[in-house]
Amino acid sequence: MKSLLTLRINGETKEVAAHQHWSLLEVLRYDMGLTGSKQGCDKGDCGACTVLLNGDPVLSCCTLAYAVQEAEITTIEGLASPEGPDPIQRAFDVCGALQCGFCQPGMMLSARALLDETPKPSDEEIRQALGGNLCRCTGYTKIFEAVRKAADGMERQVPTVYGEAADGFLVLGARGRKADSIAKATGEAIYTDDIQLPRMVHGKILRSPHAHARILSIDTSRAEALEGVVAVMTGSELTTPYCVIPWTPDEHALEPEKVRYIGDGVAAVAAVDEDTANRALGLIEVEYEVLPAAVEPRDALGENAPLIHEVDWKGRERTNNVCKTVSLEFGEVDEGLESAAAVVDETWFYEGSTHAPIEPHCAVASWSPDGQLTLWSATQVPHYLHRELARVLDVEQSRIRVIQPALGGAFGGKSEPFDLEFCVAHLARKAGRPVKILYTREEVFYSHRGRHPMEMRMRLGADEQGRLTAVDSKILIDGGAYHSFGMITTYYAGQLLPGPIDFPAYRFHSQRVYTNKPCCGPKRGHGSVQPRFAFEGALDELACALNLDPIELRRENAMSDGDVTINGQTVPSTGILQCLESVERSSDWKSRWGQLPYGRGLGVACSMYISGTAYPVYPNEMPQSAVTVKGDRSGRLTIFCGASDIGQGSDGMLAYIIAEQTGVNPDDIVVVSSDTDLTPVDLGAYSSRITYMAGIAAQQAGLAVRTRMVESTAAHWDVPPEQVGVALGHLFDKSDSARQVSTQAALQLAEAAGGPIAESGAYWTRKVGGDYRGGTIGASPAYSTTAHVAEVDVDPHTGIVRVERVWAAHDCGRAINPVMVEGQIEGSVYMGWAEAIMEAQVYREDGLHTGPNLLDYRIPTSVETPDLVAEIIETIDPGGPFGAKEAGEGPLHPVIPAIANAIYDAVGVRLRRMPFTPERVLAAIAEGQPELESTGK
Amino acid sequence: MLRMPEFKYHHPSSVEDAVAVWHDAESAMYVAGGTDLLPNLKHRLFEPTDVVGLTGLPRPQIVESDEAYLVDGGITLHALASHDGIRKELFPLAQAAGLVAGPQIRRMGTIGGNILLDTRCLFYNQTEFWRDALGYCLKKEGTWCHVVGGPKTCVAAQSSDTVPVLLALDASIELVGTGGTRELALRDLYQFNGMDHLAIQPGELLTRVRIPKQPEGFTGTYLKLRTRDSIDFPQLGLAVTATFSGADLSSLEIVVGAVNPRPKGVRGLESYLGRPLDAESIESISAAVVKQTRPSEAIQGDAQWRRAMAGIYTTRALKNLVP
Repeated sequence: MKSLLTLRINGETKEVAAHQHWSLLEVLRYDMGLTGSKQGCDKGDCGACTVLLNGDPVLSCCTLAYAVQEAEITTIEGLASPEGPDPIQRAFDVCGALQCGFCQPGMMLSARALLDETPKPSDEEIRQALGGNLCRCTGYTKIFEAVRKAADGMERQVPTVYGEAADGFLVLGARGRKADSIAKATGEAIYTDDIQLPRMVHGKILRSPHAHARILSIDTSRAEALEGVVAVMTGSELTTPYCVIPWTPDEHALEPEKVRYIGDGVAAVAAVDEDTANRALGLIEVEYEVLPAAVEPRDALGENAPLIHEVDWKGRERTNNVCKTVSLEFGEVDEGLESAAAVVDETWFYEGSTHAPIEPHCAVASWSPDGQLTLWSATQVPHYLHRELARVLDVEQSRIRVIQPALGGAFGGKSEPFDLEFCVAHLARKAGRPVKILYTREEVFYSHRGRHPMEMRMRLGADEQGRLTAVDSKILIDGGAYHSFGMITTYYAGQLLPGPIDFPAYRFHSQRVYTNKPCCGPKRGHGSVQPRFAFEGALDELACALNLDPIELRRENAMSDGDVTINGQTVPSTGILQCLESVERSSDWKSRWGQLPYGRGLGVACSMYISGTAYPVYPNEMPQSAVTVKGDRSGRLTIFCGASDIGQGSDGMLAYIIAEQTGVNPDDIVVVSSDTDLTPVDLGAYSSRITYMAGIAAQQAGLAVRTRMVESTAAHWDVPPEQVGVALGHLFDKSDSARQVSTQAALQLAEAAGGPIAESGAYWTRKVGGDYRGGTIGASPAYSTTAHVAEVDVDPHTGIVRVERVWAAHDCGRAINPVMVEGQIEGSVYMGWAEAIMEAQVYREDGLHTGPNLLDYRIPTSVETPDLVAEIIETIDPGGPFGAKEAGEGPLHPVIPAIANAIYDAVGVRLRRMPFTPERVLAAIAEGQPELESTGK
Repeated sequence: MLRMPEFKYHHPSSVEDAVAVWHDAESAMYVAGGTDLLPNLKHRLFEPTDVVGLTGLPRPQIVESDEAYLVDGGITLHALASHDGIRKELFPLAQAAGLVAGPQIRRMGTIGGNILLDTRCLFYNQTEFWRDALGYCLKKEGTWCHVVGGPKTCVAAQSSDTVPVLLALDASIELVGTGGTRELALRDLYQFNGMDHLAIQPGELLTRVRIPKQPEGFTGTYLKLRTRDSIDFPQLGLAVTATFSGADLSSLEIVVGAVNPRPKGVRGLESYLGRPLDAESIESISAAVVKQTRPSEAIQGDAQWRRAMAGIYTTRALKNLVP
């Protein structure tokens, strides 16, 4: 029951009717509309809900609203003043400290409290003060920079682009703010759970407590009878299976017959509030026949293994639990290994990990009286979601609009449809009212789609000079209960290994197996982070066996521009040599590697990654990406593009390119993205495709606008178009630079001459890849390259590994906005480091997740995160927009093997099983691996 | 998001009222900082009909007398960690309080709450759904301890950072119940039973902590083992306090936390007193700590590794204390 509560919030006294058992966070967000305070972990583990209580940062999700009646509460909405944003907000905005922006309101309030108490904090004081606010995007580097900048004094108004552009460009290469970061900094950006619609009700999903069971019956009658319940559904109401890959549908909105992991959905309810919905779930009676579960891949492959899926996606009976097998061979592998001067033959193991974006998945559905569905979802693939919604709901695609609001982190964890999206749509249809479902953090762990556990046996041979002779790889992939991108994962595990290290012979066999666990999927560096760990570790072992400097060994095998990999992928540009040289120099490798005292070590590794996949997940002849630019008489441009900005900054990338092409100041450009009614299709934020593909579309659209502006200005001046130049803010006569028109005037001239300004551009896939079955999977129009050196400190008594610093050189083609590129490099390195040192998605023998929350599944805090040094290498790709390539996923790959190799340099042991926990490191040291002596330490 | 069960909230302004309200209610719970109890409520580990909030009580204080520091139960861990006198005279306590969880939790959580912190276990501090899928556990709704694999003993771990130090300092607490006020030595508070690890009466409210001042030559430290350098509960907490007369050791206390339902006070340290703390003694004491420390796997980390770390940490702590 609600009663009247008086609170002092942001300097005002507010009365609100509130439940006595509600947290302050819930009252702020849902009763008072102050949605800037975010909810990430449910229970005090992440800090996204931080508010100030009498100036002290506290967790509003673990504070009872009624307990703070006497206190002064400050939320993010209370920080700005009429003069503009608080200096801390502006500093976060300017420094690129906001990517998805979801953790930042809490982070900025903690930072504000620090600066109020300690106006000139030390670096260590900054790290400590932010130690209770988890960020998943930035690796904290730019956050530290922002706090230092705010402490030094920060102007309140700053232009979008504030740095110097690269030579010959108007804005490209200049440091600039993200398109949406000030809205995120002030708490104004609307994320999915911030949406409240009139008459909206709340949905909840009933989940299976069994890892494998047949559903014998479901009785929902008691739930339906509960007062406040407006709709109940089970799997039998939506029987069309779905999958992000259209030809492998094997899961349902709710499973109608069988559950395949602990957490699989079986029924859903919508009720007037969450408490009622939860009560209703408790009234649903499900009768299960519990089946034996196959939790580990080896069990699933066993002779008497239970069949997790009885039929495949074509309805054929299955005889085993193999989801997909790929075997490919190029060149003479056995000969290569036999002739090698040294061969490494070892097995590596990658424990699974999950994305853990701070924003839990959330979806809201609303049907119009005319039967038009609008679905807001925290998704990174609105277009694929649009298609699957239509199929599963059995509704015309034209009756559905999908909108992706601001997104609080994804990393691949929101790149396919999820049960809640179908459930809100169907419940809303049944109830005739808008429905919202917000996952609990636990549900985020169960929906998973994180990095696959892989057991990888690799054999590498090299001649005496260190030239690789052959690579043989055999990988067993633990897929979890469903397909997801499984077929692609299985290919990627092999196809993405060749390059930037070249080898003349390659065989791989990879097999993805169903198990009774939450489904794995694509996490940043999909399918290829694990094999890269094995391969780059093996390279280090080869270098050791051949007594070569591991950087030299990599140089010896490095690819060049235009090379074709052994599996037929053309690499138009590669900066691998520049990347290696950069980290070699900055880490002082030559005078330190192999020469540091026992316990201290350096390790190197490198990698290559795709800039988008050449082929969409469903075959079609239409463009992969498109951009439309609309001009207004005010001089403003609006960019429409389906691409999903998930925090990586793709909206800003589009604005930069359009500004470069048209001369319109970035402050006068607005981006409308990822709304299927308003924006031309882009396939989504996956496979690092947006900068390359949407970038090219923007380049074309911008050129078309520019051409109209130039031609109409030329006509107005009666000069040839070649004589008209474009500068930032104006067009000028090249023969008389004093003769100018503003970009606004040029847009008006163009409109007068040819009608409204609305120009489009698109990216169609070029034919690339190997000429064999599967040769196009993993084929990309361009590849980024990366090299890392990690410096570690290993405590040989405790086994604790501290990564002190990582130098990360990444070849992104052209850095459109260096702030964003650095942010992607830092965030990637952070995420890979975290996987190497502490993260593991682990299950009990019965298939139950060992700790589906952000206290047991540890993601790093600001305190222990290493110094991350991002080094941008620009190779200028011949096909990319202005030469740009990807930066969001490639830089994650090398950090794990670089750390493993550094541990070897420090204490002489090879860690081939992740994560490198103190227990494992200490055990390896205690085993006294023979390498210990050979390092001479 | 995870919801709390419905309850009636009370906001008393005096200790007497708080105790009275608690006793009048059908099933009540005191909540001060709420940093542990609110997650526990969300996990449905408790479902009280009434919550007695303590934030309306008179402003808590730290009072210094000749013999002791008297710290009100509502003093936050942050206030304790940054109190000048405590930092100067009882440094390991300030250190331990400053290592609890993260910055926000130290500004919310209180010393009273940290002393009475519920025991923790990987099979207990989980949601209702998770515990149902597990089949529940001995500490809550079940009949089986998944840590030891048996039906009798619950080994959920006392996981407070400040308690090992307070035990080493021989602190005591003041409890207020309907029958009046009583003083209890902290060493008599904890029992080796993860389901019922506190020897207090239902409804008693911890109002004050008495921490004796230490003699001249006092020194000490608190070392905390954890994966992350913030937020995490201890995998092992080691409090070492000592007094030196010149070079000779005149007192030594070692308490190991986060291993069992009851923090482990290391026995047999008297034999090292009256002489300098040399390398041989340090080695021998560390061996004794390892021998007496038997961590359960109720919390994160391999038990044998954590046990070995107790020895390593003891050595490191003692080496730093030698004057």
